[in-house]
Amino acid sequence: MTNLLWLQGGACSGNTMSFLNAEEPSACDLVTDFGINVLWHPSLGLELGENLKKLLNALTSGQMPLDIFVFEGTVVNAPNGTGEWNRFAGRPMKDWVTDLAKVAGYTVAIGDCATYGGIPATAPNPSESQGLQFLKRQQGGYLGTSYRSKAGLPVINIPGCPAHPDWITQIVVAVATGRGAELSLDEFQRPKTFFTSFTQTGCTRNMHFAYKVSATEYGQRKGCLFYDLGCRGPMTHSPCNRILWNRQSSKTRAGMPCMGCTEPEFPFFELAPGTVFKTQTLMGVPKDLPSGVDKAGYVKLTAAAKAASPAWAEEDIFVV
Amino acid sequence: MASENGATLKAIADMLADGLETQVEPFPETDKEFAEILLQLRQLDTKDLKAKLVISGFLDHPYGPDRQRCLECMYYLVHRKWCDLPELSVPVEPDWWCRLWRI
Repeated sequence: MTNLLWLQGGACSGNTMSFLNAEEPSACDLVTDFGINVLWHPSLGLELGENLKKLLNALTSGQMPLDIFVFEGTVVNAPNGTGEWNRFAGRPMKDWVTDLAKVAGYTVAIGDCATYGGIPATAPNPSESQGLQFLKRQQGGYLGTSYRSKAGLPVINIPGCPAHPDWITQIVVAVATGRGAELSLDEFQRPKTFFTSFTQTGCTRNMHFAYKVSATEYGQRKGCLFYDLGCRGPMTHSPCNRILWNRQSSKTRAGMPCMGCTEPEFPFFELAPGTVFKTQTLMGVPKDLPSGVDKAGYVKLTAAAKAASPAWAEEDIFVV
Repeated sequence: MASENGATLKAIADMLADGLETQVEPFPETDKEFAEILLQLRQLDTKDLKAKLVISGFLDHPYGPDRQRCLECMYYLVHRKWCDLPELSVPVEPDWWCRLWRI
């Protein structure tokens, strides 16, 4: 059996909801097929009060092994570094995080808040929130740059707002089945298997991106959402258009822009008015261009693409 | 529909050729400024073609050292010769320009 403990800090429970919706494998499969013993989870745990404290103390003391420590939400340090704004089982949650991370075989941060700070860490960050090992792009976070779990790995970051259910369960299964050492992480400690390609990879609107035909309203079936509606698909690392949501869709497929929630800077531009769902431009040119493309190249590409675009690119080609 | 667009296109071309002064400057350098122009456009009667042209700074020729023009603008639909920006929604020629130009 692999012991898994899941705790929540500064969180909305979005990743819990996502996890409980997992299908490949499902949350139940983790228990029945992969030998994972969910010691406690905010939505599933049975223990309360003293019984919960006993369980947590058994883990921190080493009396009971903690194979996988999953954390959802930010580490809340307010007020003044005490963590008193987020108390749990008789003490600040951040103190539990400190002690549990020391004894964990693997530490897994789920969702944008736990990984990079996410929305709670948006300026002015009143809750003094941090991710487990990052604050936005800055490595360190709550546990510090040098933190390594007992298995010798840094915090495994599975970002997203929320993270896709299957990213969560598949990584947990990999760890539980002894393949944790094979996990290859990128510079932001995300598993490369999920976070090397872009959200744009597999986007059904790639033809509209190529021919520079823009969607101008949400839900439009024609047009690329990058040009006007703030889609960050070309700059965001995620498999959202390869491993579909609810097995059938994604934000871009539904005509809504990707918000780049798997990147450390999310939410971008600190949620300043006018920056959400609106491509930020400077003199008419997007401030953030597709990864690896420079301004001169982008302008040339645009001219060529517009001139070559076929008539069908302007039509709604999805006939019901 | 096509003939109606043709008539509108000609009407716009005539107004611009006759020297209609439009608000080419200031170019909206930021999204906030861009949004302010859109807000002005939304307050117009959708049939008020002249006001649309004035507020959006229409020109019947390319603009600036980079020779910006509708043809490269993201809102321009090449085959329909149409500006698809909802606040404008007018037929345009590829060599025209307005200050809501974006790529």
